[in-house]
Amino acid sequence: MSAELISANHAAALATILAARANRTARGFGSGVYPITPQTESIERICEETFEKGHVVRVESEHSAMAVCMGFSLGGLRAFTASSSNGLAYMAENVFAAAFYRLPIVMMAVNRTLGPPWNIWVDHGDTLALRDAGWIQLYCEDNQEVADSVLAAFRIAEDRRVLLPAMVCQDAFILSHTMMMTDLPPQAEVDAFLPPLDLPHRVTARPLVVGGLDPPRETEVHRRQHQEAMNAVFEVHEEVRGEFKRVFGRELPPAIVPYRLDDAETIFVSMGTTAATVRQVVDAARARGEKVGSLRIRMFRPFPEALLRAAFAGRKRIAVLDRDLSPGLGGIVFSEVRGLADPGALVQNYMIGLGGGDVRAEHIERILADVRARERAGAPEFVEVGG
Amino acid sequence: MPETDLIEIRVHGRGGQGGVTAAKILAAIHAHLGRSVQAFGDYGGERSGAPIRAYLRASRAPITSRNKVYAPDHLIVLDPSLLDAGTLSGLKGGGTLLLNTSEPIDAFNGRFDAFRLAVIDATAIARARGIGSRAVVIVNTTIAGAFARIFDLPFAALEHAYQHLGLARDLPAAREAFERVQVRETAEAMAPGARLGLPPLPDVMPLVEHTESPAVTLKTGSWRTQTPRYADGLAPCSASCPAGNDVVGFVQALDKHGVEAAAEILAKTTPLPSVCGRVCPAPCMDGCNRRELDGAVDIRALERWIGDHTEPARPSTALGMSEQGTNAVSPEPARPSTALGMSEQGTKAISPDDAHAEAAHAEAAHPERSRGTSGPGASKSFAIVGGGPAGLSAAHALATLGHRATILEADRELGGVLRSGIPVYRLAREALDRDIGRLLARGVEARLGERISRERVADLARDFDGVILATGLERQRGLDVPGAKLSGITQGLTFLRQLAMGEKIALDGDVVVLGGGNTAIDCARSALRAGAARVTIAYRRGRDEMPAIKEEITEADNEGVELALLRAPVGFSGNGRVRAVRLAEVELGEPDQSGRRSPKVTERVDELACDVVLLALGQSADLSVLPERWTLRDGRCFDGEHATRVFAAGDVSTGEGTVTHAIGDGRRAAFRAMAACGLEVEIPPRLDVANAVPASAVRFGHYPGSSPAAHEHRVPSSLAGDFAEVDGGLASPAEASRCFSCGTCTECDTCLVYCPEGIIDRRPGGYDIDLEQCKGCGICVAECPRKAMEMVMT
Repeated sequence: MSAELISANHAAALATILAARANRTARGFGSGVYPITPQTESIERICEETFEKGHVVRVESEHSAMAVCMGFSLGGLRAFTASSSNGLAYMAENVFAAAFYRLPIVMMAVNRTLGPPWNIWVDHGDTLALRDAGWIQLYCEDNQEVADSVLAAFRIAEDRRVLLPAMVCQDAFILSHTMMMTDLPPQAEVDAFLPPLDLPHRVTARPLVVGGLDPPRETEVHRRQHQEAMNAVFEVHEEVRGEFKRVFGRELPPAIVPYRLDDAETIFVSMGTTAATVRQVVDAARARGEKVGSLRIRMFRPFPEALLRAAFAGRKRIAVLDRDLSPGLGGIVFSEVRGLADPGALVQNYMIGLGGGDVRAEHIERILADVRARERAGAPEFVEVGG
Repeated sequence: MPETDLIEIRVHGRGGQGGVTAAKILAAIHAHLGRSVQAFGDYGGERSGAPIRAYLRASRAPITSRNKVYAPDHLIVLDPSLLDAGTLSGLKGGGTLLLNTSEPIDAFNGRFDAFRLAVIDATAIARARGIGSRAVVIVNTTIAGAFARIFDLPFAALEHAYQHLGLARDLPAAREAFERVQVRETAEAMAPGARLGLPPLPDVMPLVEHTESPAVTLKTGSWRTQTPRYADGLAPCSASCPAGNDVVGFVQALDKHGVEAAAEILAKTTPLPSVCGRVCPAPCMDGCNRRELDGAVDIRALERWIGDHTEPARPSTALGMSEQGTNAVSPEPARPSTALGMSEQGTKAISPDDAHAEAAHAEAAHPERSRGTSGPGASKSFAIVGGGPAGLSAAHALATLGHRATILEADRELGGVLRSGIPVYRLAREALDRDIGRLLARGVEARLGERISRERVADLARDFDGVILATGLERQRGLDVPGAKLSGITQGLTFLRQLAMGEKIALDGDVVVLGGGNTAIDCARSALRAGAARVTIAYRRGRDEMPAIKEEITEADNEGVELALLRAPVGFSGNGRVRAVRLAEVELGEPDQSGRRSPKVTERVDELACDVVLLALGQSADLSVLPERWTLRDGRCFDGEHATRVFAAGDVSTGEGTVTHAIGDGRRAAFRAMAACGLEVEIPPRLDVANAVPASAVRFGHYPGSSPAAHEHRVPSSLAGDFAEVDGGLASPAEASRCFSCGTCTECDTCLVYCPEGIIDRRPGGYDIDLEQCKGCGICVAECPRKAMEMVMT
């Protein structure tokens, strides 16, 4: 395959199909799927594909979709599904289960506002509500990153040091339905990048009980091991980035993506496509001589605390943009990063683009003006951008 | 980033036209030219016909913007109906407006001068090449050709993109647009300051303050190509009713509003609910769609219920009869004594004063109809010859509209064949008298004991504004076979009449009834009651072909009447008095035009012993009442070629032979007579069952199953001498609730419940559909249990 003009939904699906075939010498591919806007195109594309060694099961709900993936994964198959918003909420029980079973399932999640009232547009609240489910979470900024992250997610998840499920998140419509030229590597390169899955605890012909009663002693060890596996992700991610560059000749973005950070005194922190708009404002501010930079968090779980602490060092003002809301607290990203800034630094939270509003440079400029004019941080600000 | 290189284009179209794909196609062309591209649509309202927007960016530098395009360099408009200020908003001065329109470019002189205008009739090109469907032509692949031309993009790049996207089939259309697009360069500079600023955001109501459905800003009604509406469909029962009754109307009224409301509806078309509720063959029930589910609604019995449980019509204060004592019509329910009392009194004449008073009453009741003695609204006087069902119906129709109706009846009582030909165990006299009493209470005058000679007919035509002849079928068909003159062979109707007139007739021995209609059944069952030891009906066809009411045949069966089917009488034997009837076996041949198989009499003959033979072989009209030179054509009498104001009604005219037909024809004749004397009336149309709501249009799943209600039935211990009514009718009017109400809205809320948009609201008497929001999905129409809605082209 080569560069195609496709949506990020199809980018995720085509990358999954490549990863699925790469496991053909092992136990093949398995998927349980259930549609939900704006993710449906991706599973439709997977349903259209004829797998030489694979099964796609159309189930009646997201909860079952993940259950089917768990079964496949336990059998040693490379497993994938996709969902969004309330579908994820309904799936939630098995989202946790997949992680606690330590199954390297990859799920593409299109970030969509939770309802009711119903809203189909982007908001990160759906996957952030699952931040404690024990999954790796990667948030993408463009179509290419979606495709590349799906491939990388399988590799990271299946690493023996990790063995955790991974969620590749993308913004509803702004990515899922926007067509851009996306490069998909040939199968041979994917085969070289992604070795066949050899799940150590897979179920064989010999009957095996999994997920039985775990007394406190066992549980405290299993939880610690889960944490250790998460901690291993940083190292594995860096290795995979190297491998990715070597095999595909293309950079996979790091866990946190800096932009014109060098001497920046004021920085924006954001996730997803908002970061692209932020960069326009950073360029404009730099052109005016203002020391402004941007930091995009791509990996939210495991949480890149050390990287962020280092990146925050020396910054005087940090504007944290949340496309989510934990009612009663404020932004979820803000709540996690606020303690990492230098003592005395001003860290102000802005909720922007909730419910999928079109976040434009004008809005980011207003935030820049606000954060620069502040004497101290205040309550989270709600920036309303309209439709 | 070299900003000058970035182009941003916005596409406006309607869902289904392919606007988002248009952006993708143009992006693919630019991608082929080595540019970074981005194509996307607006999502949320992407349904067929809905206005949609799509966006395209292309640049040599990587595209980083993730926003919609608010200030496009160029605009592509796929549907000219979308050309408004909102569509043009933000378009940069000097930018290109590429418009899909059937208008030539000159049609836009003086418009869009600030822009470079390009027009192409992409719809015509795409339609001619069969791209999309006839209803929704997909124009994107065509208009892209025009786009390539006006932006100097090489057609080869387009060709490459089409090949890659699998659209090569549409290349000729793109080529045609490429060659035919017309361009007008920018005529004037754009006024400065037109660039879009940040608009103020609207207020939003807090969720906890919503006390009703929130106002919807997206007017989805513009997506609609078809519109649902409430429309009364024709119910098969009403369409089948020869009397012209609003059957579904009275059954529903009975169910929803009670017996008085139902009676009011029935009274518009029939004076004889108690009669028809007993003796009607009920074609309405044959037509009832509920037959296909769990049995027809027992409409006949419901009509009986209404007739038997209603107060008489408000008496006419001007009737004048009360002054004469014997004919008092009180607000009490009509009692037998009332109508019978009149017959005892004999001929009744209304004095001129009374007639005037009645006219005044009619005027008061119908001021819009009665405007003095002349003109289209004047009250007229009509003579009706014959007090049978057709005559009663004609009088009813005339009196209801405020005219004077005078019935001239040869017998000493009204009712005609209802009184003389239908046995009382089937039609109780109380029921007949109740109906007649109600009719008289409407101000109808009856002159009893007046047999009209042919000379009098011409007089009547002169003395009245119109005359209706409703003399029925007075000639009974005989049998021309050996032995037909033997004693003991009698016309069945004569036998029935004698019984009806109270003559004591004692039969013993065996009786044979010849015929298969209701008269035959009536004769057979009456013969049993008159003491016959054994009664046999001989009929030349099979049981299914018997024209009698099916329930009546069953009743006769139950009472012990024997059926000798496929038997035709070929002679009688006996010495002075009949001793036996000779019956030949009959074979049924090919179906005739009416669909009935024609009987073929064979040589195989048996004798059936009998003491009495009753002939029930049918009747015919006696037209000797018509004056010389007069002829009857299509129900109207002609004196030579001169059309008189004399109309024939009922069996004398049509020979259709049922009470319900007679009612319908009597009413129609009354209206024709009114029209003939200049009154503005609309003659009741004949309804066609073919136009009625078919059973397939009724959604049975909405109706819980229920069997027809049982009648209260009297089983006589011994039939001999027992002429009391057998069928006691329904115990309650609950049977009416089984009516589907085919074609007529019952406000069941199904449409409201099923509307996926929640935009159907109740209002008194029906529903309102919010057409600003209705997308025309048609679910309400599809779900309507009774086809009381329809879709029409918008």
